[in-house]
This record gives sequence, C-alpha cells and structure tokens, in this order.
Amino acid sequence: MLSVRDLHLSFGGIKALQGVGFDAVPGEITAIIGPNGAGKTSLFNAISGFYRPERGKVMFDGQEITGLRPDKRAALGMARTFQNIALFRGMSVLDNIKLGAHTRLNAGVFDALRYFGRAQAEELALRADIENRVIEFLELDLIRKAPITALPYGLQKRVELGRALAMRPRLLMLDEPVAGMNREETEDMARFILDVQEEFGTTILLVEHDMHLVMDICTKVVVLNFGQQIASGTPDEVRRDRGVIEAYLGAAA
Amino acid sequence: MGQILQFAINGLMSGAIYALIAVGLVSVFKATRVVNFAHGYLIMFGAYFYFTFAVLVPQAAWAPEWLQSWRPEWMLAMRADLPMFSPMAAVLDWLANLPRIVLGLIGALVCNALLGLLIERVLMRPLMGQSVFAMIMLTVGLISILSGAAQLIWTSDAEFVPSLAPNTPIRFELFGSMIFLFGADLANMVIALLIFGGIVLMVRYTKSGIAIRATAEDQSTAYSMGISVPRVFSRAWVLASTTGAVAGAILATRNGISPSLGLFGFSVLAIVLMGGLDSYLGVFVAAMVVGVLEALTQWQFGGEWAGIVPYVAVLLVILVRPYGLFGSKEIERI
Repeated sequence: MLSVRDLHLSFGGIKALQGVGFDAVPGEITAIIGPNGAGKTSLFNAISGFYRPERGKVMFDGQEITGLRPDKRAALGMARTFQNIALFRGMSVLDNIKLGAHTRLNAGVFDALRYFGRAQAEELALRADIENRVIEFLELDLIRKAPITALPYGLQKRVELGRALAMRPRLLMLDEPVAGMNREETEDMARFILDVQEEFGTTILLVEHDMHLVMDICTKVVVLNFGQQIASGTPDEVRRDRGVIEAYLGAAA
Repeated sequence: MGQILQFAINGLMSGAIYALIAVGLVSVFKATRVVNFAHGYLIMFGAYFYFTFAVLVPQAAWAPEWLQSWRPEWMLAMRADLPMFSPMAAVLDWLANLPRIVLGLIGALVCNALLGLLIERVLMRPLMGQSVFAMIMLTVGLISILSGAAQLIWTSDAEFVPSLAPNTPIRFELFGSMIFLFGADLANMVIALLIFGGIVLMVRYTKSGIAIRATAEDQSTAYSMGISVPRVFSRAWVLASTTGAVAGAILATRNGISPSLGLFGFSVLAIVLMGGLDSYLGVFVAAMVVGVLEALTQWQFGGEWAGIVPYVAVLLVILVRPYGLFGSKEIERI
C-alpha cells in the first residue's frame, strides 16, 4: 500500500518536513495528527503530488511515485479531499460526483470516436452504477440535483467525500474531514468513514484535529511536531507517549 | 429606417469577428485564470502567417504556378464571356486564388498553434503554481517581444492578402429597404459564428470541455481528480492561437496587414470585460453590442467618434456590473 520514507521538504528557511516516514495499514484507517503548523497538510500535499520533496520517497503498491504528477497518482487509485471545501460550485451534486467517476478524463475527441460502441456503453453503465451506489451509500438521494451553494457545510463535506469515492480509490486521503462540524455532523461523518473502510476495504489516511474521532476510529496514529515525526503506533501507545504529551500540553507537563 | 438596418448589419458582421477574437481570451482565462494581454499580438502573428503562406510562398521562384494563380482552360473560357463586374467573375477570381487561400489558412493554423504551444510550454508552464499575477505580467512583456519579432521578420510595411471568400456584392431587400453587403464580409461572419458555436458546444459537452470547466473552477481539485491540468493549459493556448489565426487572417483581408493589428486585442479586451471574463455567452452579447454601437456611431457622428462611444458604453456597464454582464461574481477585475 502507501509507504513514505524519510521525507524532507522545506520552504525557504522553514523546514516543513524533516525525515517523516511511515506505512499506511492496508484496509485500515491511519491518522496524521499534530499541533497547528506541524506539517500535516504539507505531508498530504507531498503524498498527493502537489509538493515535490527534496529528499525521501513516496511508494504506492511497491512503485515509487515521488516524481509523479497529481493526475497520474489519481489514475493509480489515490483520491483526496481538501481542508477547505473544494467542490465545483457551478455544478450540481450529481455532476460533482460524476466528475469523480470520470477519473480518466484525458480521452479526447478521437478517443471518443474510436471508443464508440459497446465498450463505451458498458463503461457508461458501470459509471452510472458507481454514481448511484455512492449517492445511496452517503444518503445524498434527496439532494442529487441541488446546487452546491444551497447545501449546509456538513453536507458539502459529504458530497466531497462522495466525489472522492466515485473515483474508486484504493487509497482515500481525507484532509480534516470534520473540521468546523458540530457534534452531530461529526458523528455522521465518522460513521460514513467507517462504512467506507468496512464496505469497500479502502485504505484511509486522514489528517484531523478532533482527538475523539482519531482515537475512536483509527488503527494507527502518526504524530508530527515542527515537521518531525515524534511518534507512531496504535492510539493507546500514542496517548501514553511522553513526547506527544509534551507537544500537546507543553514541556512543563 | 433603411440606413439604420444597413449599419446594424455591418455592426453585427464586425461583432462576429470581435467574438471570434474574444473566444481565445475567454478560453485562456477559463483554463488558467490568466488575462492574456498579448492576445492581439498572437492574432497579428496569425495574420502574418496567413500572409506568408498565401502571398509570400506562392510568389517564391520555386512555387508551382498554379499556387499563385490557378487558371485552368475552362475557367479562362468562362471568364472571357463575362462582363466586368458580374458576380460570377468575382467567384472565378476567388477560385483562382483558392489554392493559396487554403495553403495560407492551413499554414496560419499550424504555425500559430505551434506558437501558442511554445508560449505555454516555455513561458507559462514553469510559472504554474506561482501567482497568476506573474503570468499576467509575462503576457504584457510578450507584447513587445511579439510586435518586435513581427517587424524583424516581416518588416512594418502594410501588405494586402486575398480574402477568404468571393467578394461579390450582395443586394437584397429587408423590411422594405435595400441592404448592400460584400460576400466576403458575410462569409467571414459565418466562419466566425461557426467557430464560436463549435467551441461553446465543445466546452459544454465533450470530456475535454468538462476538464476545462473543472480546471476553471478549481485547479488543485481538478488535478487531484485525475485531470491533467498542464494539458488543459496547453489546449487552451492552442485553442486561443488557432482561433486567433483565423481572426488574424480575416482582419488582414479587411484592412490589410501591419504590426498595428495587435492593437485590436485591446479593444476586444474591453469587450471581454464587459461580457464577463469567464462567460462565452456574455462575451458574445458584448461583442455584438459593441459591433453595432460602433457602426451606428460611425453613421451618426462619423468615424472619429466610432472609437470612443462604444467603449464609454463598456465603461458604464463595468461600473454597474463590475464582473461583467454574465460573469461569475467572484471574477477578478483588472
């Protein structure tokens, strides 16, 4: 599955990542936590291909993907959501999810002509099937035609998850999936994330601030502080780790 | 009454050309968020490429004679029996020019596409992920480079090129008044409208179109969803430079060709701002409105006013609707 080896990344004098390395547990949920500015989102961006690390490797299914462009990584089966909602606002819920099912959007006019016929019909049916399954699964039935802007925050986040799922990913990366949500919305989202993992067996990597959520649903936790990886292990191990306690509560504790 | 119709129709015909120029600006903006200040100069290059392949190449010593002027026996025979200004004679003259017109158009399309690709690859692509402002400033710098290069390559003398369609005068009655048009102008309008319509349909219904729309809304998201954003960028630039080549060829046939052709891009930029930078529909409406306003001003107040009145109207529209007639609200202003 995904493994990260000795990743280094800096912006000018700021060392965003200094030797981060871990393996995501296949078919389970792995969390990346850490105080603000610890480098969590930088790590995410390096894994999904937006930042190019100065040193270190990102491996996916045994293949090195460190230099690959984001669209190529998506084609390999990596999908991500963003910290700020990044839905296509001019489109409806269904259109957004459809776009996820398009993964290989590169096909041009000529491909389309060559592709015309049965193979295309099958592909279309398969795609429609995925769209429907995702919509049903995330309980988005009633709002499938709704414009994005009309939806409350929690639902928008759910649509974003749906769009990522429609890409049929083997690795799903969620950047703060419950940020800014109330208790009820957070519980809904946690349930959906667990359902995705159980039903599809997807490997999930998430960045999150909500400790309750992380400790409840994750199998493995990686802790960053100032770009360094200070701990990794099961939630229980991490909870008892001295370095982690210091990072979160200050050195005095 | 007869006059106003005549001038309105003239206006619509130049409006269609504006729309064809604007389509390149909008496509690049939609895909890359870059307002391409150098678009007019891309068009000027298209015009010079057309000139090169339709005039200079056929004149060359090594070019076959039929390329310069194709006059088979049957054409000469037909021509001999015709009176001086008959429409048929104009069609025959055009037919004699057809080989070089086709060569000119193909040459202009290919060369300008390559130029667009070159600009995107060498100047724009390395700045991807940096601030859009840097890319916009780059297009400003490109203006001097392109206009300087054109003067170096082709000298700054004004030249003339064959028109794309037979220039037969057309007369017909509309609502009881006589309308008088040139065939070439009408054909230019039809060409411009067909290309415009084709591009709008492409963006709305094809996969590449969806990729462009998704990229327009959010680059990083589109990228992480498997859309090759660099490819969308280069497609947009090729689209802009090829439509620009056709527009350039048309402009060259209307007023002759010289480096000042590039200035045309700026008036169209105003039109694009009026219509809304990211809206094909808005830009189309704005192009037609400005075209008609220009023609009517020319009729009522004379040519020297024609350059001012329509742009005052553009300014007023922008004051009332800063994001243009049909633009999305959060669109940047410049």
